[in-house]
Amino acid sequence: MPIDLNILIGGAAGQGVHAITLPLAKTLVRRGCQVLFIQSYESRIRGGHLFNVIRVADKPLVSSREGVDILVALNQETAALHQGELSRDGVIIYDASLVKEVPAGRPSVALRHEDLIPGEAKAGEVAVNAGACGALLGLLQVPLGPMLELLKETFRAKGAQVVEWNVQAATRGYELAAGKGAALSLAGIPAPPEPRLLISGHDALALGALAAGLQFISGYPMTPWSSVLNAVGQRAGRYGVVVEQAEDEIAAINMALGASYAGVRSMTGTSGGGFCLMTEALGLTAMTETPLVIVEAMRPGPSTGLPTRTSQGDLGFVLWAGQDDFPRAILAPGTPAQGFALAAKAFNLADRYQLPVFLQTDQAFADTHFTHTAAEFPKQVEIDRSLETGPAPGEYERYAFTDSGVSPRRLPGFGPVVVADSDEHTPDGHLTEDLTVRVKMHDKRLRKLQTMVKELGGISTAGPADAPLVLACWGSSYGPVAEAVERLNADKVPARLVHMSELWPFPRDVVSAALAEAKKLVMVEMNASGQLNRLLRQETGITANHLILKYDGAPFTPEFILRGLKGIG
Amino acid sequence: MLPLELYQGVESAWCPGCGNFPMLKAFKQALAELEIRPEEIVVVSGIGQSSKFPHYLKCNTFNGIHGRTLPVATGIRLANPELKVVAVAGDGDCYGEGGNHLLAGFRRNADMTLVVHNNQVYGLTKGQASPTSDEGFVTLLQPQGVYTPPLHALALAVAQDCSWVGRGFAGDLEYLTKLYKEAINHKGFALLEVLQPCVTFNRVNTFQWYRQRVYHVDQEPDYDPENEIWAYRKAKEWGDRIPTGVIYRNPRPLLEEAHPPLRMGPLVRQEPVRPIDGLLAEFY
Repeated sequence: MPIDLNILIGGAAGQGVHAITLPLAKTLVRRGCQVLFIQSYESRIRGGHLFNVIRVADKPLVSSREGVDILVALNQETAALHQGELSRDGVIIYDASLVKEVPAGRPSVALRHEDLIPGEAKAGEVAVNAGACGALLGLLQVPLGPMLELLKETFRAKGAQVVEWNVQAATRGYELAAGKGAALSLAGIPAPPEPRLLISGHDALALGALAAGLQFISGYPMTPWSSVLNAVGQRAGRYGVVVEQAEDEIAAINMALGASYAGVRSMTGTSGGGFCLMTEALGLTAMTETPLVIVEAMRPGPSTGLPTRTSQGDLGFVLWAGQDDFPRAILAPGTPAQGFALAAKAFNLADRYQLPVFLQTDQAFADTHFTHTAAEFPKQVEIDRSLETGPAPGEYERYAFTDSGVSPRRLPGFGPVVVADSDEHTPDGHLTEDLTVRVKMHDKRLRKLQTMVKELGGISTAGPADAPLVLACWGSSYGPVAEAVERLNADKVPARLVHMSELWPFPRDVVSAALAEAKKLVMVEMNASGQLNRLLRQETGITANHLILKYDGAPFTPEFILRGLKGIG
Repeated sequence: MLPLELYQGVESAWCPGCGNFPMLKAFKQALAELEIRPEEIVVVSGIGQSSKFPHYLKCNTFNGIHGRTLPVATGIRLANPELKVVAVAGDGDCYGEGGNHLLAGFRRNADMTLVVHNNQVYGLTKGQASPTSDEGFVTLLQPQGVYTPPLHALALAVAQDCSWVGRGFAGDLEYLTKLYKEAINHKGFALLEVLQPCVTFNRVNTFQWYRQRVYHVDQEPDYDPENEIWAYRKAKEWGDRIPTGVIYRNPRPLLEEAHPPLRMGPLVRQEPVRPIDGLLAEFY
């Protein structure tokens, strides 16, 4: 029997749901399991309802799925909201001091505060999440020792007493659950042949940027973009990165531009609302031909929208933001490993073509943790700064006309003066009202797209090449669509996945070829209008026969996509 | 002293008689006296007549967008502190559009100079009120006169512990040159506001109007620019008498010193090598 368990851990914000999820998932990965977990949370610091779903299997996972096999309810709301999702043999682990109602007749593990740490109900309350961890591992028949070490690490900052409570509660939880869930045992999973990684999309993206030589990052906090800023910030000292928290998104992008003009690899980022503010300097980036990598982490809008939920609704915005035509690139990774690789690619594109390059992500990409192997990451990344460093003969022209549209780039302080201008300018960078120069300069900038598009492709496929049914998608939808396609083929319905991760300049030839065999093309997107489908039609004339769209803020599941296909017939 | 021809820029598009001309002259004189070569300095500007300044001067230039000079200048300083950085903005640019960056600039204290060309009017857009227009100032857009009091930017600077605050007057060339030199040499964020008459759109605050009012603050007996309370009083003074000179001097730790990577030298001279195995190690 293949192993494929879904564990939902839910509670109020502040009850430590997030605090135990990572150590638990890590323990399971180290044990040899394939793990993928998603996070669902509200825009608040305390209270409300949040949950994480850890999926555990004996084969690689790229997506979450529906259904719950073990429900960990730290409050009544979690039990009430999710018990309907429980599978036939599903088990509930619950905080018996807070959860008053659980469905009768189901195997369950009740955690009582006063029982977890005898005689100290208050301590039991604090450590009930650790008790739940222990109970989970007891059910799964996974040794507790490694988890205890991780718990000690997690709670070290809170002092020896809290660490001790957590260790005690986890141990007691383990005892209470042992032997209760024979059907849920992971004991048969072999130890991993080599260590595996557990990493989120935004962490991987940040590492890719560091591997590419990122030296400067500026940003203003905003969910879900902040996790990139934090991931770099936490490692800044170790890797010599200057991190500057800006007064607003306008300052963030202008600072990153200044640092890039001065010669270091720079990045900024934000989410939709913040990107509205960055738009004026996006044009400045293109006009001054300054390399810049911008993370745009989408969430549902318009305006404040749903701050902590997921969306793919900003493709059109990022594609067209700014006045008049100017070149840019848009990359949208589907997995953490791809996020790493595309972050590195983004810096080379930015330097080679001297323009803004977007890494477009969303909350689902940001927070979903994948199990990866080191082999899924590059051994090393190429760093191509495309800088002129030799002696300059005569006067230097920052915007010299060239066939490729790319002018040799020099840095201020390393030779002749470098003049960059937001006004239309002559090749030497000075403002001009000469309309002939304007046309030549505008053409020069746009010409870079024709050169750059040859470096783009970014198509991932799965399933038979001649399958009549093709499911196309982009960015973070990769996993759920890939699993839907896999399930279709397992059910003898030939289907093919076409995932696009390099969206602008649109790689027309590559995409057209990938879709050439499609008899029925279904575009799967997390927005209400099919923004990639519109772009596809604009660029290739191809249009999807059907759209499967979702814009409620919760991520796709394979089941949602399969239900959508049934609806199409 | 370096030869002034070294700083020869392209031909100017300013109005004849513009207060920007003497500023340009004094600035070149200051650079020449300080022996700062064109390659060693970056002048960052925004949008407005003042922001054409770096084009008319040979130097590294980043002519960005309206209000955003300071963040660009900050990014340059953090990437390469070997470069002298001067941000040039107008009163509308810096005190209006870029207000938030000004507040953050005072607090950050990067080692740079901000020169605000203050002509109390919007010149490039042809004569609307600016944040520093006096109450009652009549324009095409404000025919009843301006009804909000002007921004006291220097007082704001003193209140926010700005590291160096000064005011010059475009009609007082020698003193202005001295102020440019001191502002550029100051270790920290230096705000130098320069009263710079707009000869086309401001017929009130003319060269003559300023000349009747400005005085050198260092002529005041015992004036101490390191005394915050005195500095605040002088910074608020506006009307019949307008102080020029070094208003406030407040040595403070620099932004550049707060970023540990800069202790290893300028970022732009470092070559980050980060093996991927090492980056991934903590995720097993």
